[in-house]
Amino acid sequence: MKAWITRHWRSLLLWGLGLLAGGIALALLIAYSGIFNIAASAGHPAWLEWFLQFGKERSIKVNSKPVAPPKLDLAELVPLGAAHFQGTCAICHGAPGQPVNPIFDHMLPPPPDLQKHATYWTREQLFWIVRHGIQFTGMPAWSGADRDDEVWAVVAFLEALPTMSKEDYRQHAGGHSEIQSDSIREFVSEGRPRLDLTACNRCHDTADAAPTSPHIPRIGGQDEAYLKRALQEYRDDSRQSGFMEPVADDLDDEQISRLAAYYAALTPSPFQRAQPPSPEARELGRQLAEQGDRARKIPACLSCHGANGREDYPRLAGQSEHYIEQQLRIWRRGGRNNTPHGAMMSVVARRLTDQQVAAAAAFFASQSPQAGRAAPGAMKGAEQP
Amino acid sequence: MNLLKLFPVMVLAALAGCEGEQSAFVGLGPVASRIALLMWIMFIAAALITAFICLLLFVSITGSGNWRQKLTSEKTVVLGGIVFPVVTLSALLIYGFSVLRVGEDLVQAENPVRIAVVGEQWWWRVIYRHDDGHTTESANEIRIPVGRPIEIELTTTDVIHSFWLPTYAGKVDMIPGQTNRLHFLADKPGIVRGQCAEYCGGAHALMAFYAMAMTPADYDAWLAKEKADAKPALDKKGERLFFASGCGGCHTVRGTQANGTVGPDLTHVGSRLSLGAGILPRTPVSFARWISRHQKLKPENLMPPFDFFSESELQALSAYLNGLE
Repeated sequence: MKAWITRHWRSLLLWGLGLLAGGIALALLIAYSGIFNIAASAGHPAWLEWFLQFGKERSIKVNSKPVAPPKLDLAELVPLGAAHFQGTCAICHGAPGQPVNPIFDHMLPPPPDLQKHATYWTREQLFWIVRHGIQFTGMPAWSGADRDDEVWAVVAFLEALPTMSKEDYRQHAGGHSEIQSDSIREFVSEGRPRLDLTACNRCHDTADAAPTSPHIPRIGGQDEAYLKRALQEYRDDSRQSGFMEPVADDLDDEQISRLAAYYAALTPSPFQRAQPPSPEARELGRQLAEQGDRARKIPACLSCHGANGREDYPRLAGQSEHYIEQQLRIWRRGGRNNTPHGAMMSVVARRLTDQQVAAAAAFFASQSPQAGRAAPGAMKGAEQP
Repeated sequence: MNLLKLFPVMVLAALAGCEGEQSAFVGLGPVASRIALLMWIMFIAAALITAFICLLLFVSITGSGNWRQKLTSEKTVVLGGIVFPVVTLSALLIYGFSVLRVGEDLVQAENPVRIAVVGEQWWWRVIYRHDDGHTTESANEIRIPVGRPIEIELTTTDVIHSFWLPTYAGKVDMIPGQTNRLHFLADKPGIVRGQCAEYCGGAHALMAFYAMAMTPADYDAWLAKEKADAKPALDKKGERLFFASGCGGCHTVRGTQANGTVGPDLTHVGSRLSLGAGILPRTPVSFARWISRHQKLKPENLMPPFDFFSESELQALSAYLNGLE
């Protein structure tokens, strides 16, 4: 055998190259002739269907190997994932009680009904699919760079989805969006064009309810200039969030102004705390907030986030611990620094120790939402040029 | 591009060289002039010794056998290789000690002006110690009376820095966990420049300061003003903006709510010679330049970037800060 190969390697090589060239030529000829039907309506021949499924599964399984899931607190994450799913995913994938939109049902491949199919994948694989998307299927990658925390909320929801009843789903995904509070009615009856708060209320606080999850901020009573800036930053993709960017993208300048004004005027509703932070953490947080840490060159948090801070700086009093910690972690990883304000905070956040991050979050979470806010309008004169 | 931006600084430095503003050759006052003398003695002696060695080398190559014999004799090696260096270096060492003593003698003869300078990345915290035990903090500039001995207490909060004030005082390192002292006396009024002389990280080359020697009467008047709290601001809009934007988290303006200790004290920043630790001449417009472009003017400095101030806000802040005289 070996002797035969040694003798004939030249002709073998020629044959190999010839076959390769012939194959490429044939593929080009088939493509050029147009005889292969790429119509979505035509479907895939069985052999191709098998091949594509096989390739996809192997790719997902292999690529998701390095994913290390954090500990997921389902009760806190499912409402967020569900609300996002309702806003951006359900139109293709359908949801309990909502059939797939017929247009998207005619895609090839058709988006799977995840109530049936989500169980097929492991937690790591679900994360990988939501985070990175799948080529040639229409499944997009996550739109917020470095926001894996949000992707995990969707994963938590997808794991809960198969056992969800229609009623459960409506409750989780709807958030507060069916509660028509008085202030919204007033808002509508003032004769201005109706502002649809459905997207906001799916997660955020309303006049009479706290946010659906402690992983997101309470925005009622926040400063108007800050809210406006945040929405603009989400809209122009300078602040990253797969949850907020799709919502903000829909808004025009006037809607952003009106939303900011609406939420700024809303009375803040506090989170229900599961357990208060340890007194030591709160004390360390209080020191950091009031005096900073000279050795680590950290200014006092309250010098910016206090009662007299600029209107485009956020108020942190009464925000949830999870949210503050999460945002500080994003800064420390080098995220959230594409905006001028974010770049400034990024410098300070990167000087904090893990312990200080937790302490600062505990301190601000233990404050009353009203504590950090100047009387409405107190600073307004100063900011107008 | 970067070179272009640095051009004014380079011109300033070059001019400073000409005027002797930061020159070890211009020794003003008893300490610096002794150091200058020591430097000349060492330079001339080293030149003579080098010339002599060259001559010996020449002889050893081209000289007669007799000369070469003498050069390799044990006596020559002992005298030239051991006795001569020991005598010369000991003499220099003793003279060096005497130069160090000059400053200390001055300080012992008369109650000195005591100033503590703390090296920070990349600026100087300056603390005037008064006879009554109180202190007054300032930054990036030291002012001294002529004719009185000065004691500078040198420490650092982070890495090793070196306080180098060649025209008046020489150079002493600032070492973590240790307090070094530098003594000197300025004998006539003037403004000179100092510089950190030990590499201390990113913005080391841009860590400078000015020292101003003043007549005793001027100095007393200045110190009385420096001790006082900031005057009520003329520019209320700028002051509000300064507080609301969080500047007080790092900077102190005595007499106001701004009490941060992370960065330089700004109580009387409007009467200083420079901004950014000797980087920009202090003028009304340079405050706006510093606030909006400090990461370009002094890359890696530890002040966070504030790129969101509008033009009118920058003007208001400038007016407020420049008014802090």
